[in-house]
Amino acid sequence: MVTRWVSVAVSIGAVLLAVFVTAMLFWAIGRDPIEAYAVIVHVFVDPGLLGESMARGVPIVLATLGLIVAFRMNFWNIGAEGQIYLGMFAATGVVLWGAASHMLPPALMMPTMVVTAFSVGGIWGLIPAFLRAKLQVNEVLTTLMMNYIAMLFVDYLVYGPWKDPHGHGFPLTIPFPDYALIPLIPGTTITSGVIACVVVAILVYYVLSRTKLGYEIRVVGESASAARYAGISYMQVALLGMLISAGLAGLGGLSIVSGIIGRLRPRASPGYGYTAIIVAFLSELNPWIAVPAGLIFGGLVTAGEALQAALRIPFSGIQVFQALIFLFVITGEFLKRYSLEVSWGRR
Amino acid sequence: MDTSPSKKLVEMRDIVKSFPGVLANDHVNFTLYRGEIHALLGENGAGKTTLMNILYGLYRPDEGKILVRGKPVKIGSPADALHLGIGMVHQHFKLIPPHTVVENVILGLKSPRFKLDVGRAAHEISDLASRYGWKINPFARIWQLSAGEKQMVEILKVLYHGADILILDEPTSVLTPQETRGLFESLKKMREEGKGIVFITHKLEEVFAVGNRVTVMRKGRVVATMSMEKATREELARLMVGRPVLFRLEKESVEPGRPVLQLEDVHALGEKGVPALRGITLIVREREVLGIAGVTGNGQLELAEVATGLRKVTHGRVVVDGVDVTNKGPRAFIEKGIAYIPAERQREGLVIGMNVAENLVLRYYRYEPFSRRAVINWRMVDENAEKLVRKFEIVTPNVRETTRHLSGGNQQKVVVARELGGRPGGKTPRLVVAMYPTRGLDVGATEYVRKTLLRYREMGSAIFLVSEDLEEIFQLSDRIAVIFEGQIMGVVRPSETSYEEVGLMMAGAKRLEEIPA
Ligand SMILES: Nc1ncnc2c1ncn2[C@@H]1O[C@H](COP(=O)(O)OP(=O)(O)OP(=O)(O)O)[C@@H](O)[C@H]1O
Ligand SMILES: [Mg+2]
Repeated sequence: MVTRWVSVAVSIGAVLLAVFVTAMLFWAIGRDPIEAYAVIVHVFVDPGLLGESMARGVPIVLATLGLIVAFRMNFWNIGAEGQIYLGMFAATGVVLWGAASHMLPPALMMPTMVVTAFSVGGIWGLIPAFLRAKLQVNEVLTTLMMNYIAMLFVDYLVYGPWKDPHGHGFPLTIPFPDYALIPLIPGTTITSGVIACVVVAILVYYVLSRTKLGYEIRVVGESASAARYAGISYMQVALLGMLISAGLAGLGGLSIVSGIIGRLRPRASPGYGYTAIIVAFLSELNPWIAVPAGLIFGGLVTAGEALQAALRIPFSGIQVFQALIFLFVITGEFLKRYSLEVSWGRR
Repeated sequence: MDTSPSKKLVEMRDIVKSFPGVLANDHVNFTLYRGEIHALLGENGAGKTTLMNILYGLYRPDEGKILVRGKPVKIGSPADALHLGIGMVHQHFKLIPPHTVVENVILGLKSPRFKLDVGRAAHEISDLASRYGWKINPFARIWQLSAGEKQMVEILKVLYHGADILILDEPTSVLTPQETRGLFESLKKMREEGKGIVFITHKLEEVFAVGNRVTVMRKGRVVATMSMEKATREELARLMVGRPVLFRLEKESVEPGRPVLQLEDVHALGEKGVPALRGITLIVREREVLGIAGVTGNGQLELAEVATGLRKVTHGRVVVDGVDVTNKGPRAFIEKGIAYIPAERQREGLVIGMNVAENLVLRYYRYEPFSRRAVINWRMVDENAEKLVRKFEIVTPNVRETTRHLSGGNQQKVVVARELGGRPGGKTPRLVVAMYPTRGLDVGATEYVRKTLLRYREMGSAIFLVSEDLEEIFQLSDRIAVIFEGQIMGVVRPSETSYEEVGLMMAGAKRLEEIPA
């Protein structure tokens, strides 16, 4: 169909435009844009760096898949970042407890972490859902503000009670034992978290398109009054939807502490939860697109770190790049609607 | 009427427009003269709205030419259309509810004539309104207005922008009979001023009341254009539907059975938290149509919502088939077999962004065979849709079409089909609560829906019919309850009363002492 191609072309155009404008910015601060892009491309071809990129992509993908559920229900969850922090907190809590009490056999460690991270992240997400359903409190504000609470709570833990006594005073927990880390896919540099991403994408797709809950989420997202008419309880759908949405972000948090850092430290997420918002829109709330798109954005995070090391371009450089992509894609969305009408006329 | 070529305002020649799977306009010719009201008739999905959307610049035609005042033009957008003096009021309102009347009217002015001089604009709007015999507070917010007033604002907006070619797409479908009469007076005045008006409707008596000429469309083509003097009701109906239409309904006399719905001294609050129902006691029995007559806004909506479990009662009891279901929630009512055709199809009865098949199970997706445990059985959903689309003659390329793309009347048919025929297992509803069920339907579909309601009545269902159309109420009802300011003014039998008596009760000027059950 015409509109499909228009849509893809506009998205690609938006990304290219962002590449170009970012290059101008690098140039303006006295860096060679060609060199900068060489560093970025290198990230995606070097096996070691590719592994790091994938590892950074996993939390983004998981949070994005969660956001897709919330956004389909027209619930503007800006709180993936905070839900990620809660997931990190929960996963780390299990590890520390297991290490201290010796009550958890190593084989049960990872499953317990998964369940706990999902549940704690999810419960954190229930709060704004409940407030919206019961008292019509705007979820954008609650989810956003709760991000700071979550982040500062983790700060408190690692500067205080959870600080490694042998860590020379650094705000870090003890390193995780091997059995609490996410393994690589044997024979590669790539984390097995990528497989988890694909499995979760399948599940999200299945829930949204095949189940009653998915149907209800779509009805609620399209029209609250039609949902009421259909006898759908907004409260029930909002709570379940946000449990899934925030629970997946919580798993993203787990994938940071167990897949990237190997312990908990302050500001362990450089904004993965916000990047996920961008990715959710870029993939047009489609779980299949979200997986590759999220992994590519993981690469951009790695690239940002590499630029910092190689060319002393501040990490915010890559954040500007991400923001520009988002800005241009949103503008493209607008243009798409316009060209959609034109292409109707030309059919 | 002067039909000399110099009086031609609009000429559309050989217009062709197709959508995926549909030929909406097939070589259509259409002419509008200065000082004429040109009625556009046709079945649901015939292509009326599409043709007018083309004239208004919303769609580009695949083929064909448009001449405005004799000059060939390309209309690429509604802004272009307004520039040419063409304004359109849509089938579904496009106003912005939180904003005021003035804001809505001046919105979209290419070059605001008075830079943000809202006071002056308000003044002009009031003047314009009074010229056509209307009264409106320019600073009222849209959501506070009745459907009739919203309609007025839409028309004012078009006039304020200086249009002298007016397209009104089913303007009367949401109006009360009084409002309709008022609108017609204004339209006649505009005609005298030399404006040209295209008037889309499904009500033949309206065509005869204001039309100069009429064009009939059928399946994307124009089948006839004639002056009203030459037209007859039967002929127009036959041209539209392609077969003769009976305007009389055969209504068997049957004995009502057991009570299905009992409301006992029901009180409930309205949207803004003020009491909307104040002590309503009513019974609807098997094999009986209870009509609710009243001026819109007197508690009909709340009454229908109480009867379907969507609105909580603050006092009183709701009993269905002998079981107390007071405040048990909508699902309990759905499960008791209560069907509900709501007044606002686009806002409430449908999810217009979802497809036809999905909409046809909107209230039943959670029951077998449409789903089992947590999982939906899409095959059964599609089968159900195929069946209902055929039975209710819904015009759509396929059941996976997005409902937004259906014509207005076909959207209404989706609601009606689901509520009258969509219960799992093909069961007939125990009670049908129907608000304006034939709103937007063509004569054939109207006939079909009314017949279906009566057939269900004979099969043992109870029917609870809310309508502003007194003719519809008198034709279908066994008893008529008149509602005024949240109270029942009396219950009468159509054979023992008159339009006048019901009208007095609707206005609150008469109240029957004894209310027969
Ligand atoms: N945007 C669209 N996309 C796809 N199909 C469309 C679109 N608009 C209209 N159609 C199709 O074109 C046909 C004509 O629709 P149109 O709205 O013009 O009918 P109508 O005569 O106004 O009917 P009604 O009396 O029900 O309002 C219908 O079959 C409809 O499904
Ligand atoms: Mg129409």
